[in-house]
Amino acid sequence: MMRRWTFYIALVVCLGFFVGLKFGIHPPIPASVLMIYMVLATLGILLFVAANEERFAAFLEPLKSVFEGRAPKVVQVLVLVAIPLLAGWGTWLRTSPTWDAPFEPRVVHPEPPSTFNLHGFPTETAKLKNPLRGVDPAQLEKLTNEGKTIYYQNCFFCHGDALAGDGHFANAFSPIPANFRDVGTISMLQESFVFWRVATGGPGLPKGATPWISAMPVWQNLLTEEEIWKVILYIYEGSGSTPRTWDEEVSHAGH
Amino acid sequence: MRATNVLLLLVLLTSSAFAVDVKMEPVKPTPVTANTQLGKKLYDRYCSQCHGNEGKGDGPAAEFVYPRPRDFTMAIFKVRTTLSGQLPTDHDLFHLISEGLPGTSMPAWKKFLTVNERWQLVHHVKTFDSLGLFKEEPVKEQVVIDTAPKMTDALIAKGAGLYQQKKCGQCHGSQGRGDGASAAGMKDEWGELIRPVNFTKSWRFRGGDRIEDIYRTFTTGFNGTPMPSFVDAIPAADDRWALAAFVKSLARPQKNAQVLKASFVKGEIPVDPYAKEWEGAEFVDFPLAGQIIQEPRWFKPMHDVITARALYNDREIAFLLEWDDGIQGADSVTVQLPTTDTGNVKPYFLLGNKGHPVDLWQWSAKEGGSRMTATGAATPRELGNLIGEGGYKDGQYRVLLRRSLKGGENEVSFEPGKFTPIAFHLRDGDNGEEGMKMSLSTWYAVLPEPTMPLTVWLWPFGIGFLALGGEFWLLRRMRRKCRK
Ligand code: HEC
Ligand code: HEC
Ligand code: HEC
Repeated sequence: MMRRWTFYIALVVCLGFFVGLKFGIHPPIPASVLMIYMVLATLGILLFVAANEERFAAFLEPLKSVFEGRAPKVVQVLVLVAIPLLAGWGTWLRTSPTWDAPFEPRVVHPEPPSTFNLHGFPTETAKLKNPLRGVDPAQLEKLTNEGKTIYYQNCFFCHGDALAGDGHFANAFSPIPANFRDVGTISMLQESFVFWRVATGGPGLPKGATPWISAMPVWQNLLTEEEIWKVILYIYEGSGSTPRTWDEEVSHAGH
Repeated sequence: MRATNVLLLLVLLTSSAFAVDVKMEPVKPTPVTANTQLGKKLYDRYCSQCHGNEGKGDGPAAEFVYPRPRDFTMAIFKVRTTLSGQLPTDHDLFHLISEGLPGTSMPAWKKFLTVNERWQLVHHVKTFDSLGLFKEEPVKEQVVIDTAPKMTDALIAKGAGLYQQKKCGQCHGSQGRGDGASAAGMKDEWGELIRPVNFTKSWRFRGGDRIEDIYRTFTTGFNGTPMPSFVDAIPAADDRWALAAFVKSLARPQKNAQVLKASFVKGEIPVDPYAKEWEGAEFVDFPLAGQIIQEPRWFKPMHDVITARALYNDREIAFLLEWDDGIQGADSVTVQLPTTDTGNVKPYFLLGNKGHPVDLWQWSAKEGGSRMTATGAATPRELGNLIGEGGYKDGQYRVLLRRSLKGGENEVSFEPGKFTPIAFHLRDGDNGEEGMKMSLSTWYAVLPEPTMPLTVWLWPFGIGFLALGGEFWLLRRMRRKCRK
């Protein structure tokens, strides 16, 4: 009956887990996480097997037959040699030195400072509001179009033609330029935050956000305040998103 | 009467003698009809910033990219399946809008636009044709691209012969690095400077880098450029496939990594950049972008990658830097390192910042090795024990920069197993690059790879033997029990 095959089924299930985790997930999970999942999976299988005495005995049977010398000689030798080799190899994988770049954790959306210098004047971040919103629709369209021109003369090299963070220079920069179509970037940010980010660029970031590696330029050195607000109008319009506002927060909270 | 007949015969004879082996087929019908309003809307939204509101290639971004966005009013197109000088088919336009033009700023629109939207753009692009060519003489036939033959060594060797014989190297260079004798000073139909493609960079083949694409490119030619169709010069399709296979064999994709590993060598590090130790050393391609972060910004850099290798011995570390350049000019290269061990806080990636200076090792074709320190702006410093040497051969610069492992004042020490931040700057002399007008990278890391100490074997062997011991203990115990 099936019971005879318990050991082999357990082995196949275990291998199946490994193959699924290793090759079935994109992007690939780190080796350490894979290890944890595999330990959990193996424990789970062992628990299941051990829960029933008869099943457990059947599970142990092939191992017993090797150790008690009942299995064919070839199998005995193979298993007895394989176990120490596997143990040694597993240890090697864990302890051998690897030379991956040191991992640098990075806060993508850090707490902005309460004030920052804008063209030499201290400015309160929370008080910033886009002065260009609230004009009539025709005027807004004109301003957004001007923002589009600014975008394609300053930003698209990095942030891309379709605002997807994949401009023709993007691959030279690490971290990569933000993808404005992604729900995790400007659509979850308030315009005041975005203004601070654009005006102060990479160097304006606090330490935890590794300001020294971001290629995002300090736009207040290159654009006027109004130009920055215009380009912000465009990156929202062009990526089909809207800034996060407090009103929305309140209405979300209400539901 | 007689004379004309003879002439006719002659013409017939000569043309059959040069009969070219190009299979043609009727153009496939266009599956989607035009919706002018939608086409215009999409064009204004996604294309006008480069190609201009009237399709003249003069949108607000046009000045900031190289090559320039296409002016559609002359209806000259490069990537086609139609014979030299002819218009493209609608499917050609659809294909190239979908796939974009690698190596230029023209993106692959299939990522962002639906099939229907892309067809609308095909129709819209055709409306800019000021001479009415698409209406008057639409193409009826297109070139059949057969399935490619297998890439065998024999085929590639045959292609290499043809490459020489047909003088492709005149423009594309003997090694295909775009450094042929006629490479400099070529212009296209639109009056823009144009350079022959570097075949080693597979990511820059405008028409795609599959062997079929390459075959198509020189069967049909790129209209409007000095790159002619070669059907007359190479009439046999087999020969063209061989040539395509050879060109393909030169191309390689970039090999990127975060860490440049320096291997340990016993004895001297070779000072000849063509020495076999260097050829064998692991390399990394670091992608570069124009310096568009501070004024003066540089939007149209020549170089898009630098290839680096590193070796060290018990005294010195050496970096070998390579980049291809079709036109020699007087290039210069810089390696940027922090001046001290940085821990978690690196200097700003572009020339450092206050309190976090960087050390710049430079080599220029004009002045050889030099050195600077920078905290935002660079100031010269003594070379110290830094040695910079380099040269140009076969369309490629190779530069060797070396220094003692141990650092003195204001310079980092390299140690086996220690990561040191490193960044690169490259300036193309022929393209007017100097100072901040350059290509650059962000921070990567260099690691002198430690030679494996014997102790790394301790644990694996220990655990292995332990398992073996346990096994025998169990074995004896269980067999004894059995016997009883
Ligand atoms: C040289 C390349 C480069 C250019 C040019 C550039 N950026 Fe960026 N930008 C980046 C990079 C890299 C990041 C991601 C790293 C970071 O957060 O600083 C970024 C991040 C941002 C963010 C933050 C998004 C978020 O989710 O936190 C905003 C907003 C932004 N850029 C707007 C702009 C605007 C507007 C322009 C043009 C005026 C522009 N960028 C031009 C490289 C660039
Ligand atoms: C960022 C700028 C940019 C944008 C945006 C852009 N293009 Fe282009 N396009 C180019 C450049 C640059 C070339 C020419 C490359 C060359 O000559 O090698 C080009 C060439 C073309 C060609 C001619 C290709 C050939 O084989 O000759 C077509 C057709 C085209 N673009 C269509 C479009 C359409 C449709 C859109 C909008 C969906 C678009 N482009 C958006 C930059 C752009
Ligand atoms: C008169 C100079 C000249 C000669 C001779 C020449 N080419 Fe070219 N070739 C060019 C130029 C210039 C380009 C770049 C066109 C562009 O940028 O649009 C080019 C582009 C190409 C490409 C384009 C790849 C792509 O998709 O971007 C291929 C393939 C190619 N050549 C193959 C050949 C082969 C094979 C030969 C010899 C049979 C040859 N060329 C001879 C000038 C030349």
